[in-house]
Amino acid sequence: QEKNFELKISHWVPATHSLQKALEDWAAAVEKDSGGTIKSKVFPAQQLGKAFDHYDMARDGIADVTYVNPGYQPGRFPIIGAGELPFLMSEAKGGSMALDAWYRKYAEKEMKDVKFCLAFVHSPSSFHSRTKKIVVPDDIKGMKIRPAHATMANFVTQLGGTNVQSSAPEVRDIIERGVADAVTFPWGSLLLFGIDKVTKYDMEAPLYVTTFAFVINKDKYNQMSDKQKKAIDNNCNTETAGKVGEYWGKMEDAGIDKIKAESSHEVYKLTPEQIGLWKKAAEPLVKTWAEGVKKKGDADPDAALAELKASLTKYNALAQ
Amino acid sequence: MSTDAVAVLGFVALFALMLLRVPVGMAMGLVGVCGFGYLVGFTPALKLVGQTSMRTVTDYTFGVIPMFLLMGTFVSNSGMSQELFRAANGFVGHLRGGLGIATVGACGGFAAICGSSVATAATFSAVAYPEMRRFGYPQSFATGVIAAGGTLGAMLPPSTVLAVYGIITEQDIGKLFIAGIIPGILAMTMYMLTIALIGWFRPDFLPRGTPIPWRERFAGLKSIWAPVLLFIFVIGGLYGLPFLPRFTPTEAGGVGATGAFLIGLLTGRLNKEKILASLLQATRTAAAVFTVLIGALIFGYFLTVTQTPQKVTELLTGLGLGPYGILALIMVMYLVLGCLMDAMAMIILTVPIIFPVITHLGFDPIWFGIIIVMTVELGLIHPPVGMNVFVIKSVVKDVSFSTIFRGVIPFVVTDLIRLVILIAFPMLALWLPTRMAG
Amino acid sequence: MSRAWMDRFIDTIEWIAAAFVGIVALNIFLAVILRNTLSYNIPDSFDIGRMLLGILIFWGIAATSYRGGHITVDLVWANVGPKYKRMIDVFATLVLLFVVSVQTWTLFDKVRGTYNDNVLTFDMHMPTWPFFAVAWAGDGAAVLLIAIRTYRLIFHPEEMQEEPKIKAVE
Ligand code: NA
Ligand code: NA
Repeated sequence: QEKNFELKISHWVPATHSLQKALEDWAAAVEKDSGGTIKSKVFPAQQLGKAFDHYDMARDGIADVTYVNPGYQPGRFPIIGAGELPFLMSEAKGGSMALDAWYRKYAEKEMKDVKFCLAFVHSPSSFHSRTKKIVVPDDIKGMKIRPAHATMANFVTQLGGTNVQSSAPEVRDIIERGVADAVTFPWGSLLLFGIDKVTKYDMEAPLYVTTFAFVINKDKYNQMSDKQKKAIDNNCNTETAGKVGEYWGKMEDAGIDKIKAESSHEVYKLTPEQIGLWKKAAEPLVKTWAEGVKKKGDADPDAALAELKASLTKYNALAQ
Repeated sequence: MSTDAVAVLGFVALFALMLLRVPVGMAMGLVGVCGFGYLVGFTPALKLVGQTSMRTVTDYTFGVIPMFLLMGTFVSNSGMSQELFRAANGFVGHLRGGLGIATVGACGGFAAICGSSVATAATFSAVAYPEMRRFGYPQSFATGVIAAGGTLGAMLPPSTVLAVYGIITEQDIGKLFIAGIIPGILAMTMYMLTIALIGWFRPDFLPRGTPIPWRERFAGLKSIWAPVLLFIFVIGGLYGLPFLPRFTPTEAGGVGATGAFLIGLLTGRLNKEKILASLLQATRTAAAVFTVLIGALIFGYFLTVTQTPQKVTELLTGLGLGPYGILALIMVMYLVLGCLMDAMAMIILTVPIIFPVITHLGFDPIWFGIIIVMTVELGLIHPPVGMNVFVIKSVVKDVSFSTIFRGVIPFVVTDLIRLVILIAFPMLALWLPTRMAG
Repeated sequence: MSRAWMDRFIDTIEWIAAAFVGIVALNIFLAVILRNTLSYNIPDSFDIGRMLLGILIFWGIAATSYRGGHITVDLVWANVGPKYKRMIDVFATLVLLFVVSVQTWTLFDKVRGTYNDNVLTFDMHMPTWPFFAVAWAGDGAAVLLIAIRTYRLIFHPEEMQEEPKIKAVE
């Protein structure tokens, strides 16, 4: 006799975000594959806990499945931070599949307190600025920027800018008040949080992506029957990671055209020379990242990064 | 046990513990952990305690609370209330009931730099009450004016309860503060009119003062530069006035506190004892508020698991009362609850349950923040229990509760009328925030 | 433990908390000034600010718990005789002691987790656990103080004469 489960799925973005739908779809697929014995309920908007705590929530059983941004806690998940390095990924679906396929073996060490489900990225994005057009790395000097994650924060510091921290819903407010001049933010979400109303200049370049993961409470998973475990595993794989990334990526990419259509915005591309300058400027970040990985000692950074690039090449998502 | 039964039992246990004087935050935390433990598991429930406690106290946006509290204690301890009262009295003291009108005006000025209604009431019990008694104002009227004037502290920005409402509902605290300006001025105006009317109908009840020469009146105005400067800098910075640095709410609080400290220090109004006392008072109150916030979050996670907010929304919207009928029902509930607990506890306990109903009905969240603060502030002065009344009684020893409540009744009536006006014309609250600089 | 010693201990704890309020305000003030004049952000001013806030609150809770400064519903308490008042006070303090003890124990777990997980600050990559540990110590002090309060309430109630207090919150 199989036990019935009702999983609590928790995330921290608004219920209107495409992630809500992605998680509902995930839950429906698990329910179907389990023959209806695993049902779920999605709790959006930090109803069960704060954004920063979502990894711990799955580990401790406060929720059963959670959505995690590993970059929110610098130092804690250094390996997956490779995905945050600038000019690495060109698109969401392939990037997600490549990241997931690559990270699976590292997750066993780095996210060992939970059952790792999948990892994915959103569409590449870049700087959106209120005060000035950011074209070359030198432009960052003296600017106040709200970075997407720890790697971008390091980049800003290294280029002579300063970081301003805030949660996503507060970004509009801090730009409006001049606390920050610019933000790194994905395109569609820019509209969702109303940040397009307070920014003017948008760099269109694959400067960065943010890595995310779905993780599951280990005890819950271990209590399941083999058939139920299989229903979970069926939906915790590279293919599903691609689907989640693609679904979200479409939402973000749709934002590019909407913002281009806004007369108050100037969306600009970079020349190959300018991109070269950015890539060169980003080189020290690789070193910083590698040091962080070495310090925690769960992987050999050089090998790991080479593998990630190979994986990206395989899934056609390595930024050129 | 069904989740509904667990939720109901949770509320019963919560009220029992609170009535036995267990601190509100601790009671919510205890019941929340037990409920969450019963429904989800006790190991996760205990983890929830550590996680929620640490996350709440290290959340920078919550820093807005201790900072505005500190600004308030510095302002109170530097005696700026005296000058505000003297300045207001210079202009209206000679009218019938003029000292009462001056008290309301000074309360408003003080409220513009202090976020607490109780602190405002306490301050003017010491400053304005002796003056009113000296000129022969009845005890009931004098204390009633102060109780009502005190509520301006939470209505006019800055406001601790509004900040907490903003934190719980994830609304922009800056917008909430700005939204309180017009309703706060409306409250002042209506209180003054009420006093004028009382004087009109019962001339024997309220005396007049002696007129003061115009030169002295303007001299009095000059002495209130400090509160004016603080208000313009802090609230102006929040609103986005030209030529001023722009602040987030937490920064506005921090800058306001430091500003109040510097002004007090440079004008010699803050000595070492007063500085230390200000720091201590702010710490104590902040700790008390954060205890309730932590407890409420844990209790809220328990309610999330039981789906209580959704069920309450379904229940209320299914009554067929229409949006305003439901709103009226909620208001009545708050007035009843106002007999039991203070404003902060009420807001923290009920908003997570009521807020989904309000957004579901399509009401504006900023506007509702103003409405709910007006309602809970009414709870501070209406019989049989009210925190402002309690505070006045502790400063003015020789007055009975019934006397204060008798004096407060005209202002309770005024407040109810103002509530209806704000519900009928939401623009009064929303016009300024929509014009905030972008 | 002599009474004078206990009182000094309690005062010290309260002063530590009060000092932190001032430091948090100063940190914000400096950050705002530097940003608006020199366009300079103090590295980690955000992370340090929020962790100082945590320290101030937990140490403040210690002091508040001892002084009976928490937000309470006094309706019943204010309307009963001294005997029942005392019973209510003892009951409420015992619950308080229990809750804060549990909280302190779970927080220790949280601090240990922060240490094990190598969580760093954003700008300077400092470990965060020492800040968390100092905050936790405040909660530990709270347990001690509430224990003293409980002891005094039960055995020396005359030392705990409490005025209905003014809570400048609302
Ligand atoms: Na105020
Ligand atoms: Na009341």
